Amino acid sequence: MGVAKEFTKGLWKEVPPFRLVLGLCPTLAVTTAAENGLGMGLATTFVLVCSNFIVSLLRSIIPSKVRIAAYIVVIASFVVIVELTMQAYFYPLYKVLGIFIPLIVVNCIILGRAEAFASKNGPVLSIADGLGMGLGFTLSLTFLGALRELLGSGTIFKHAVLGPSFEPFAIMLKPPGAFICLGLILATMNLISTRKS
Amino acid sequence: MRDLVKMVVVLTVICSASGLVLSYVNEATKEPREYQLLKYVKGPSIKAVLPEGYENDPITDKIVFKMGTDEKGHPVEKTIFPAKKGGKIVALAYDSAAPGYHGNIAVMIGVDLEGKLTGVSIMTHTETPGLGARVEEPQFTQQFAGLTLSEELNLSTRGGRIDGISGATLSSNGVVNAVRQALEQFPKIKEEVL
Repeated sequence: MGVAKEFTKGLWKEVPPFRLVLGLCPTLAVTTAAENGLGMGLATTFVLVCSNFIVSLLRSIIPSKVRIAAYIVVIASFVVIVELTMQAYFYPLYKVLGIFIPLIVVNCIILGRAEAFASKNGPVLSIADGLGMGLGFTLSLTFLGALRELLGSGTIFKHAVLGPSFEPFAIMLKPPGAFICLGLILATMNLISTRKS
Repeated sequence: MRDLVKMVVVLTVICSASGLVLSYVNEATKEPREYQLLKYVKGPSIKAVLPEGYENDPITDKIVFKMGTDEKGHPVEKTIFPAKKGGKIVALAYDSAAPGYHGNIAVMIGVDLEGKLTGVSIMTHTETPGLGARVEEPQFTQQFAGLTLSEELNLSTRGGRIDGISGATLSSNGVVNAVRQALEQFPKIKEEVL
Protein backbone atom coordinates (compact mmCIF):
# COMPACT_ATOMS: atom_id res chain seq x y z
CA MET A 1 0.00 0.00 0.00
CA GLY A 2 2.62 2.53 1.13
CA VAL A 3 5.02 1.92 -1.72
CA ALA A 4 2.29 1.93 -4.36
CA LYS A 5 0.83 5.14 -2.96
CA GLU A 6 4.18 6.94 -3.02
CA PHE A 7 4.73 5.71 -6.56
CA THR A 8 1.37 6.70 -8.03
CA LYS A 9 1.13 10.15 -6.45
CA GLY A 10 3.79 11.39 -8.88
CA LEU A 11 1.75 10.23 -11.85
CA TRP A 12 -1.40 12.28 -11.37
CA LYS A 13 -2.04 13.93 -7.99
CA GLU A 14 1.36 15.60 -7.69
CA VAL A 15 2.77 15.29 -11.22
CA PRO A 16 5.62 17.81 -11.01
CA PRO A 17 5.43 20.13 -14.04
CA PHE A 18 1.64 20.22 -14.37
CA ARG A 19 0.37 19.97 -10.78
CA LEU A 20 3.15 21.45 -8.69
CA VAL A 21 4.31 23.55 -11.68
CA LEU A 22 7.89 22.69 -10.68
CA GLY A 23 10.91 22.23 -12.93
CA LEU A 24 9.53 24.45 -15.68
CA CYS A 25 12.90 25.47 -17.10
CA PRO A 26 13.68 22.15 -18.83
CA THR A 27 9.95 21.52 -19.37
CA LEU A 28 9.59 24.58 -21.54
CA ALA A 29 13.03 24.62 -23.10
CA VAL A 30 13.67 21.11 -24.42
CA THR A 31 10.19 19.94 -25.40
CA THR A 32 10.39 20.90 -29.07
CA ALA A 33 10.05 17.22 -29.98
CA ALA A 34 8.73 14.14 -28.18
CA GLU A 35 12.11 12.43 -28.35
CA ASN A 36 13.89 15.31 -26.59
CA GLY A 37 11.26 15.38 -23.86
CA LEU A 38 11.63 11.64 -23.34
CA GLY A 39 15.45 11.84 -23.16
CA MET A 40 15.39 14.72 -20.71
CA GLY A 41 12.74 12.98 -18.61
CA LEU A 42 14.68 9.72 -18.41
CA ALA A 43 17.91 11.52 -17.50
CA THR A 44 16.10 13.38 -14.73
CA THR A 45 14.41 10.18 -13.52
CA PHE A 46 17.75 8.41 -13.23
CA VAL A 47 19.23 11.27 -11.19
CA LEU A 48 16.08 11.52 -9.06
CA VAL A 49 15.91 7.82 -8.19
CA CYS A 50 19.64 7.51 -7.44
CA SER A 51 19.87 10.69 -5.39
CA ASN A 52 16.70 9.81 -3.45
CA PHE A 53 18.18 6.40 -2.64
CA ILE A 54 21.58 7.73 -1.51
CA VAL A 55 20.09 10.61 0.48
CA SER A 56 17.68 8.30 2.30
CA LEU A 57 20.54 5.91 3.13
CA LEU A 58 22.64 8.75 4.51
CA ARG A 59 19.76 10.59 6.20
CA SER A 60 20.84 9.73 9.77
CA ILE A 61 24.53 10.46 9.11
CA ILE A 62 24.27 13.84 7.39
CA PRO A 63 24.22 16.67 9.98
CA SER A 64 21.21 18.92 9.35
CA LYS A 65 23.32 22.09 9.10
CA VAL A 66 25.21 20.89 6.03
CA ARG A 67 22.44 18.76 4.52
CA ILE A 68 21.82 20.96 1.46
CA ALA A 69 25.53 20.95 0.56
CA ALA A 70 25.65 17.17 0.96
CA TYR A 71 22.52 16.68 -1.18
CA ILE A 72 23.90 18.90 -3.92
CA VAL A 73 27.16 16.93 -4.02
CA VAL A 74 25.21 13.67 -4.36
CA ILE A 75 22.90 15.09 -7.04
CA ALA A 76 25.73 16.74 -8.97
CA SER A 77 27.70 13.49 -9.05
CA PHE A 78 24.80 11.64 -10.66
CA VAL A 79 24.25 14.46 -13.12
CA VAL A 80 27.88 14.25 -14.25
CA ILE A 81 27.53 10.48 -14.63
CA VAL A 82 24.45 11.03 -16.83
CA GLU A 83 26.23 13.69 -18.84
CA LEU A 84 29.33 11.57 -19.52
CA THR A 85 27.25 8.51 -20.40
CA MET A 86 25.06 10.49 -22.75
CA GLN A 87 28.10 12.00 -24.43
CA ALA A 88 29.56 8.55 -24.90
CA TYR A 89 26.50 6.72 -26.21
CA PHE A 90 23.78 9.21 -27.24
CA TYR A 91 25.76 12.07 -28.76
CA PRO A 92 23.00 13.58 -30.96
CA LEU A 93 20.60 13.75 -27.99
CA TYR A 94 23.39 15.20 -25.86
CA LYS A 95 23.89 17.94 -28.46
CA VAL A 96 20.17 18.80 -28.50
CA LEU A 97 19.73 18.91 -24.73
CA GLY A 98 23.00 20.81 -24.34
CA ILE A 99 23.18 23.03 -21.28
CA PHE A 100 19.98 21.53 -19.79
CA ILE A 101 21.80 18.32 -18.81
CA PRO A 102 24.19 20.02 -16.35
CA LEU A 103 21.27 22.16 -15.24
CA ILE A 104 19.51 19.05 -13.86
CA VAL A 105 21.63 19.79 -10.76
CA VAL A 106 19.48 22.82 -9.97
CA ASN A 107 16.19 21.21 -10.97
CA CYS A 108 14.01 22.00 -7.96
CA ILE A 109 12.13 18.70 -8.26
CA ILE A 110 15.26 16.74 -7.38
CA LEU A 111 16.43 18.86 -4.45
CA GLY A 112 12.80 19.17 -3.41
CA ARG A 113 12.26 15.38 -3.25
CA ALA A 114 15.58 14.87 -1.43
CA GLU A 115 14.69 17.49 1.18
CA ALA A 116 10.97 16.84 1.52
CA PHE A 117 10.84 13.07 1.12
CA ALA A 118 14.08 11.09 1.01
CA SER A 119 15.55 12.78 4.11
CA LYS A 120 12.55 11.58 6.17
CA ASN A 121 11.79 8.13 4.69
CA GLY A 122 13.49 4.78 4.13
CA PRO A 123 15.27 3.72 0.94
CA VAL A 124 12.43 1.63 -0.54
CA LEU A 125 9.82 4.35 -0.15
CA SER A 126 12.29 6.92 -1.47
CA ILE A 127 13.00 4.90 -4.59
CA ALA A 128 9.24 4.51 -5.17
CA ASP A 129 8.79 8.24 -4.71
CA GLY A 130 11.67 9.01 -7.08
CA LEU A 131 10.41 6.57 -9.71
CA GLY A 132 6.87 7.93 -9.53
CA MET A 133 7.92 11.57 -9.68
CA GLY A 134 10.48 10.86 -12.39
CA LEU A 135 8.00 8.91 -14.49
CA GLY A 136 5.42 11.67 -14.03
CA PHE A 137 8.01 14.19 -15.16
CA THR A 138 9.02 12.02 -18.14
CA LEU A 139 5.42 11.46 -19.24
CA SER A 140 4.66 15.17 -18.90
CA LEU A 141 7.69 16.18 -20.96
CA THR A 142 7.05 13.53 -23.60
CA PHE A 143 3.39 14.53 -23.85
CA LEU A 144 4.20 18.23 -24.09
CA GLY A 145 6.96 17.43 -26.59
CA ALA A 146 4.65 15.26 -28.69
CA LEU A 147 1.96 17.95 -28.70
CA ARG A 148 4.43 20.65 -29.80
CA GLU A 149 6.03 18.36 -32.37
CA LEU A 150 2.62 17.43 -33.77
CA LEU A 151 1.46 21.04 -34.11
CA GLY A 152 4.86 22.52 -34.94
CA SER A 153 6.16 20.03 -37.48
CA GLY A 154 3.31 17.56 -38.07
CA THR A 155 5.26 14.55 -36.77
CA ILE A 156 5.46 12.45 -33.58
CA PHE A 157 8.77 10.78 -32.74
CA LYS A 158 9.86 11.90 -36.23
CA HIS A 159 7.09 9.85 -37.91
CA ALA A 160 4.92 11.94 -40.19
CA VAL A 161 1.37 11.83 -38.85
CA LEU A 162 -0.53 14.72 -40.31
CA GLY A 163 0.25 14.33 -43.98
CA PRO A 164 1.66 16.88 -46.45
CA SER A 165 -1.44 19.09 -46.58
CA PHE A 166 -0.89 20.13 -42.94
CA GLU A 167 0.70 23.56 -42.54
CA PRO A 168 2.87 23.44 -39.37
CA PHE A 169 2.50 26.16 -36.70
CA ALA A 170 6.10 27.33 -36.48
CA ILE A 171 5.29 29.20 -33.26
CA MET A 172 4.75 25.90 -31.42
CA LEU A 173 8.47 25.13 -31.70
CA LYS A 174 9.37 28.54 -30.23
CA PRO A 175 9.16 29.50 -26.52
CA PRO A 176 5.65 31.08 -26.76
CA GLY A 177 4.35 27.79 -28.15
CA ALA A 178 5.66 26.02 -25.05
CA PHE A 179 3.69 28.38 -22.81
CA ILE A 180 0.52 28.06 -24.90
CA CYS A 181 0.66 24.24 -24.81
CA LEU A 182 1.50 24.19 -21.10
CA GLY A 183 -1.44 26.49 -20.38
CA LEU A 184 -3.83 24.31 -22.37
CA ILE A 185 -2.65 21.16 -20.58
CA LEU A 186 -2.95 22.81 -17.12
CA ALA A 187 -6.48 23.99 -17.96
CA THR A 188 -7.53 20.53 -19.15
CA MET A 189 -6.11 18.85 -16.06
CA ASN A 190 -7.86 21.33 -13.76
CA LEU A 191 -11.13 20.80 -15.63
CA ILE A 192 -10.89 17.02 -15.22
CA SER A 193 -10.10 17.39 -11.51
CA THR A 194 -13.03 19.72 -10.81
CA ARG A 195 -15.42 17.41 -12.68
CA LYS A 196 -14.19 14.51 -10.55
CA SER A 197 -14.77 16.26 -7.22
CA MET B 1 32.64 21.33 18.82
CA ARG B 2 31.72 17.70 18.14
CA ASP B 3 29.05 18.87 15.72
CA LEU B 4 31.59 20.89 13.82
CA VAL B 5 33.98 17.95 13.47
CA LYS B 6 31.14 15.70 12.35
CA MET B 7 30.04 18.21 9.69
CA VAL B 8 33.54 18.50 8.28
CA VAL B 9 34.15 14.75 8.32
CA VAL B 10 30.80 13.83 6.71
CA LEU B 11 31.09 16.42 3.94
CA THR B 12 34.70 15.45 3.25
CA VAL B 13 33.81 11.77 2.99
CA ILE B 14 30.84 12.43 0.69
CA CYS B 15 32.91 14.68 -1.57
CA SER B 16 35.81 12.25 -1.81
CA ALA B 17 33.48 9.35 -2.56
CA SER B 18 31.86 11.43 -5.29
CA GLY B 19 35.26 12.37 -6.72
CA LEU B 20 36.34 8.75 -6.76
CA VAL B 21 33.20 7.56 -8.56
CA LEU B 22 33.36 10.38 -11.09
CA SER B 23 37.00 9.81 -11.96
CA TYR B 24 36.16 6.16 -12.55
CA VAL B 25 33.20 7.02 -14.82
CA ASN B 26 35.35 9.55 -16.66
CA GLU B 27 37.99 6.92 -17.39
CA ALA B 28 35.41 4.32 -18.39
CA THR B 29 33.63 6.57 -20.90
CA LYS B 30 36.73 8.26 -22.29
CA GLU B 31 37.12 6.16 -25.43
CA PRO B 32 33.49 6.07 -26.55
CA ARG B 33 33.24 9.81 -25.91
CA GLU B 34 36.23 10.55 -28.11
CA TYR B 35 34.84 8.26 -30.78
CA GLN B 36 31.43 9.96 -30.76
CA LEU B 37 33.00 13.38 -30.91
CA LEU B 38 35.04 12.40 -33.97
CA LYS B 39 32.07 10.64 -35.54
CA TYR B 40 29.67 13.56 -35.29
CA VAL B 41 32.11 16.45 -35.65
CA LYS B 42 34.59 15.17 -38.23
CA GLY B 43 32.61 12.17 -39.50
CA PRO B 44 30.52 14.00 -42.11
CA SER B 45 33.64 15.69 -43.52
CA ILE B 46 35.60 12.45 -43.61
CA LYS B 47 32.76 10.75 -45.47
CA ALA B 48 32.56 13.62 -47.94
CA VAL B 49 36.25 13.68 -48.87
CA LEU B 50 37.06 9.97 -49.17
CA PRO B 51 36.33 8.24 -52.49
CA GLU B 52 33.23 6.04 -52.45
CA GLY B 53 33.40 2.30 -52.02
CA TYR B 54 35.59 1.89 -48.94
CA GLU B 55 34.56 -0.89 -46.58
CA ASN B 56 35.91 0.07 -43.15
CA ASP B 57 35.03 2.68 -40.54
CA PRO B 58 37.82 5.28 -40.91
CA ILE B 59 37.22 6.58 -37.38
CA THR B 60 37.65 3.21 -35.68
CA ASP B 61 40.79 2.53 -37.75
CA LYS B 62 42.28 5.96 -37.12
CA ILE B 63 46.05 6.15 -36.91
CA VAL B 64 47.60 8.59 -34.46
CA PHE B 65 51.30 9.44 -34.46
CA LYS B 66 53.54 12.30 -33.44
CA MET B 67 54.73 14.58 -36.20
CA GLY B 68 56.85 17.69 -35.73
CA THR B 69 56.60 20.10 -32.81
CA ASP B 70 54.64 23.26 -32.05
CA GLU B 71 56.12 26.66 -31.08
CA LYS B 72 56.72 25.53 -27.51
CA GLY B 73 58.52 22.39 -28.60
CA HIS B 74 55.75 19.95 -27.63
CA PRO B 75 55.19 17.13 -30.09
CA VAL B 76 52.07 17.51 -32.23
CA GLU B 77 49.77 14.54 -32.71
CA LYS B 78 48.47 13.91 -36.19
CA THR B 79 45.36 11.82 -36.69
CA ILE B 80 44.87 10.05 -40.01
CA PHE B 81 41.62 8.39 -41.08
CA PRO B 82 42.36 5.64 -43.60
CA ALA B 83 39.85 4.26 -46.08
CA LYS B 84 40.37 0.55 -46.73
CA LYS B 85 39.16 -1.77 -49.44
CA GLY B 86 39.79 -5.48 -49.08
CA GLY B 87 42.03 -4.81 -46.06
CA LYS B 88 44.29 -2.45 -48.01
CA ILE B 89 44.47 1.29 -47.53
CA VAL B 90 43.22 3.07 -50.65
CA ALA B 91 42.98 6.67 -49.44
CA LEU B 92 43.67 8.83 -46.42
CA ALA B 93 41.73 11.67 -44.83
CA TYR B 94 43.29 14.19 -42.45
CA ASP B 95 42.81 17.77 -41.45
CA SER B 96 44.79 20.95 -41.81
CA ALA B 97 44.24 24.64 -41.17
CA ALA B 98 45.42 27.97 -42.54
CA PRO B 99 44.45 31.57 -41.86
CA GLY B 100 41.71 32.99 -44.10
CA TYR B 101 40.39 36.53 -43.95
CA HIS B 102 39.27 36.21 -40.36
CA GLY B 103 40.78 33.44 -38.25
CA ASN B 104 41.76 29.93 -39.20
CA ILE B 105 39.94 27.83 -41.75
CA ALA B 106 40.04 24.14 -40.87
CA VAL B 107 39.72 21.76 -43.78
CA MET B 108 39.53 17.98 -44.10
CA ILE B 109 41.24 16.59 -47.17
CA GLY B 110 40.97 13.19 -48.77
CA VAL B 111 43.92 11.99 -50.77
CA ASP B 112 44.70 8.73 -52.56
CA LEU B 113 48.04 6.95 -52.38
CA GLU B 114 49.46 8.79 -55.41
CA GLY B 115 48.92 12.11 -53.66
CA LYS B 116 45.89 13.05 -55.74
CA LEU B 117 43.08 14.85 -53.93
CA THR B 118 39.82 12.90 -53.71
CA GLY B 119 37.92 15.67 -51.97
CA VAL B 120 38.08 18.72 -49.71
CA SER B 121 35.59 19.73 -47.05
CA ILE B 122 35.57 22.81 -44.82
CA MET B 123 35.08 21.87 -41.16
CA THR B 124 35.21 25.12 -39.19
CA HIS B 125 35.78 28.73 -40.15
CA THR B 126 34.87 32.22 -38.99
CA GLU B 127 34.71 33.93 -42.40
CA THR B 128 32.18 36.64 -43.26
CA PRO B 129 28.71 35.15 -43.78
CA GLY B 130 27.57 35.51 -47.40
CA LEU B 131 31.06 36.31 -48.66
CA GLY B 132 34.02 34.33 -47.34
CA ALA B 133 31.70 31.76 -45.80
CA ARG B 134 30.80 30.69 -49.33
CA VAL B 135 34.03 28.65 -49.44
CA GLU B 136 31.90 25.96 -47.77
CA GLU B 137 29.80 25.57 -50.89
CA PRO B 138 30.34 22.44 -53.00
CA GLN B 139 30.83 24.54 -56.16
CA PHE B 140 34.05 25.79 -54.60
CA THR B 141 35.30 22.68 -52.80
CA GLN B 142 34.54 20.32 -55.69
CA GLN B 143 37.19 22.03 -57.80
CA PHE B 144 39.95 20.47 -55.70
CA ALA B 145 39.17 16.85 -56.54
CA GLY B 146 41.72 15.30 -58.87
CA LEU B 147 44.43 17.91 -58.34
CA THR B 148 47.92 17.19 -57.03
CA LEU B 149 50.46 19.41 -55.31
CA SER B 150 51.47 21.38 -58.40
CA GLU B 151 51.03 24.79 -60.01
CA GLU B 152 47.47 23.79 -60.85
CA LEU B 153 46.58 23.85 -57.17
CA ASN B 154 46.31 27.63 -56.99
CA LEU B 155 43.70 30.30 -57.54
CA SER B 156 43.10 31.06 -61.23
CA THR B 157 44.40 34.60 -60.67
CA ARG B 158 47.76 33.04 -59.82
CA GLY B 159 47.80 30.64 -62.73
CA GLY B 160 46.05 27.73 -61.02
CA ARG B 161 42.80 25.92 -61.74
CA ILE B 162 40.73 26.95 -58.72
CA ASP B 163 38.19 29.70 -59.34
CA GLY B 164 38.12 31.77 -56.18
CA ILE B 165 34.93 33.26 -54.78
CA SER B 166 34.57 36.80 -56.03
CA GLY B 167 34.96 39.32 -53.24
CA ALA B 168 36.55 36.72 -51.00
CA THR B 169 40.06 36.21 -52.37
CA LEU B 170 41.66 35.95 -48.94
CA SER B 171 39.18 33.30 -47.78
CA SER B 172 39.56 31.32 -51.00
CA ASN B 173 43.31 31.56 -50.73
CA GLY B 174 43.15 30.42 -47.09
CA VAL B 175 41.49 27.20 -48.21
CA VAL B 176 44.06 26.70 -50.99
CA ASN B 177 46.89 27.25 -48.48
CA ALA B 178 45.39 24.79 -46.00
CA VAL B 179 45.07 22.16 -48.74
CA ARG B 180 48.62 22.81 -49.98
CA GLN B 181 49.98 22.53 -46.44
CA ALA B 182 48.18 19.23 -45.98
CA LEU B 183 49.57 17.88 -49.24
CA GLU B 184 53.09 18.99 -48.31
CA GLN B 185 52.82 16.70 -45.30
CA PHE B 186 51.62 13.83 -47.47
CA PRO B 187 54.95 12.07 -48.27
CA LYS B 188 55.85 11.95 -44.58
CA ILE B 189 52.38 10.77 -43.59
CA LYS B 190 52.40 8.09 -46.27
CA GLU B 191 55.72 6.81 -44.98
CA GLU B 192 54.36 6.77 -41.43
CA VAL B 193 51.05 5.06 -42.28
CA LEU B 194 52.16 2.37 -44.72
